Amino acid sequence: MELFLQRLFDGLSQGSVYALIALGLVIIYRGTGHLNFAQGEMALFCTYVVYQLGEWGLAIGIALPIGMLVGFALGAVTEVTLIRPIAKKSAFAVFIVTLGLFQFLNWLAGAIWGDQPLPNSGVGSNQQSFPSLFPNEPDDFVRIFGAAIKLQSIGVFLLVLVLFGLLFLLFNFTKLGLSMNAVASNAESAKLVGIRTNLVLMTSWGLAAAIGAVGGVVFAGINSNVNLGLMFGVFIYASAAATLGGFDSPGGAVLGGLIIGVIENMAAGYFPKWVGQEMKVGVALMVILVVLLVKPSGLFGTAKVERV
Amino acid sequence: MTTLLRTTGLRAGYGPVTVLHDIDLEVNLGEIVVILGANGAGKTTTMRAISGTIARQGHVEFDGHEIAKSSPDRIVRNGLVQVPQGRGTFPELTVEDNLKAGAITRDDSRSVARDMELWYGQFPRLDERRNQRAGSLSGGEQQMLAIARALMSRPKLLLCDEPSLGLAPLITQELFGVLERLNKEEGLSVLLVEQNANLAMHIASRVYLLETGRIVASGSAAELSADDSIRKAYLGF
Repeated sequence: MELFLQRLFDGLSQGSVYALIALGLVIIYRGTGHLNFAQGEMALFCTYVVYQLGEWGLAIGIALPIGMLVGFALGAVTEVTLIRPIAKKSAFAVFIVTLGLFQFLNWLAGAIWGDQPLPNSGVGSNQQSFPSLFPNEPDDFVRIFGAAIKLQSIGVFLLVLVLFGLLFLLFNFTKLGLSMNAVASNAESAKLVGIRTNLVLMTSWGLAAAIGAVGGVVFAGINSNVNLGLMFGVFIYASAAATLGGFDSPGGAVLGGLIIGVIENMAAGYFPKWVGQEMKVGVALMVILVVLLVKPSGLFGTAKVERV
Repeated sequence: MTTLLRTTGLRAGYGPVTVLHDIDLEVNLGEIVVILGANGAGKTTTMRAISGTIARQGHVEFDGHEIAKSSPDRIVRNGLVQVPQGRGTFPELTVEDNLKAGAITRDDSRSVARDMELWYGQFPRLDERRNQRAGSLSGGEQQMLAIARALMSRPKLLLCDEPSLGLAPLITQELFGVLERLNKEEGLSVLLVEQNANLAMHIASRVYLLETGRIVASGSAAELSADDSIRKAYLGF
């Protein structure tokens, strides 16, 4: 029971990271129909920025919002300069461009911050470990039914719920949210009712990257460091989460992320011989495969309704 | 008579293909003007060139403003709104959200709510389906919704792109009745593109005939139907 609860909460906090990256994927996909392959690396870049701000002595509570702003700018500039001109040509071209951006951002982070995991006393970092948003000392845990649950796990989980709540309010009760929904539903008609679709798309990309930045920072906090490979696995799990939840459903992305985090941890915990650490990514592949075969629109995705 | 819309030498096309050649047309305040033409004559392109959703050259003067270089959202804010062809609703959004989206350019949320009730009154079938997704409505209901959504921006001029497309004759008649009533009671000016000449002629103040991207004839509905060759070629009776 204790082990089960521990794995459950580990899974939920890990899944929260997937949920954040998946949310970014979903926001962009809803608005444009594009899969942003660089979502994870955009988050990685922002995570390095937050590390750098920490080196300059800024507390994580200030560094994270700045990292999110950098993310927003990165996403918005990407949409305007790279995606928009290409999107007119073909969706496939956009896919290739985001793939290129994936490589470029990873290279850029490596060129600026090097290939060592950071913080690293070897390269003269001031910080001991990557700052965690929540208390993360060995004795920062609560006991629930005998299981030791880290405060960090609970905090990360709550953070995702709060962010999702804010997004829910945005999508359902604001003009910006209505505009985003309208552009997602029918871009041509959105123009005709007077929505500035370019502005909406730019904002969507910015928002997606800003949320991704939170995911990266949280994950680096759990991991105690940031390194160039940090987001590779996360991106794959996030894609699986978005597939499972439905690529156009923010709620689905969050739930999908949490489910996959839990499945991953349970599988690795209970079947260490079969699954183990190396095979964990295979779990994501299985989930993608099963969802696409059984319910291609995912748990909460809309199969397009149209009366003919 | 006050001229609400005047295009002069309007040209537009897609990529290297020019579809419209020097279109000159006018809509006066309070008129219902109909553009008739066969498939491929350039009717939809004319609408899009006026509403600013495609690139165009020449002059488009609306309500005293030159709008040929304006963005679509600016044009909607000026009071010219287009009802797109076919089912141009937001299918995944509810009827209510479709109407709210129609009012996105307005900031007076209280009078928006009042207008919404007003149009629900005019279109009772939308009222019954407020919380239904637009994609689940019938073709006629979606066309009504597209018109109601356009009206939510409080336009001075409504552009309607073939509202009869794919609708049963009775529904089409009802729809044209609604347009006529809005024109008489609310003073709404309408520029209507149609293939269905017979019905459109009945409500038209004036008619333009469009053929391969050029205006080949214009006049009142009575004048055009008195001309034998025009009647045979375009009106089919």
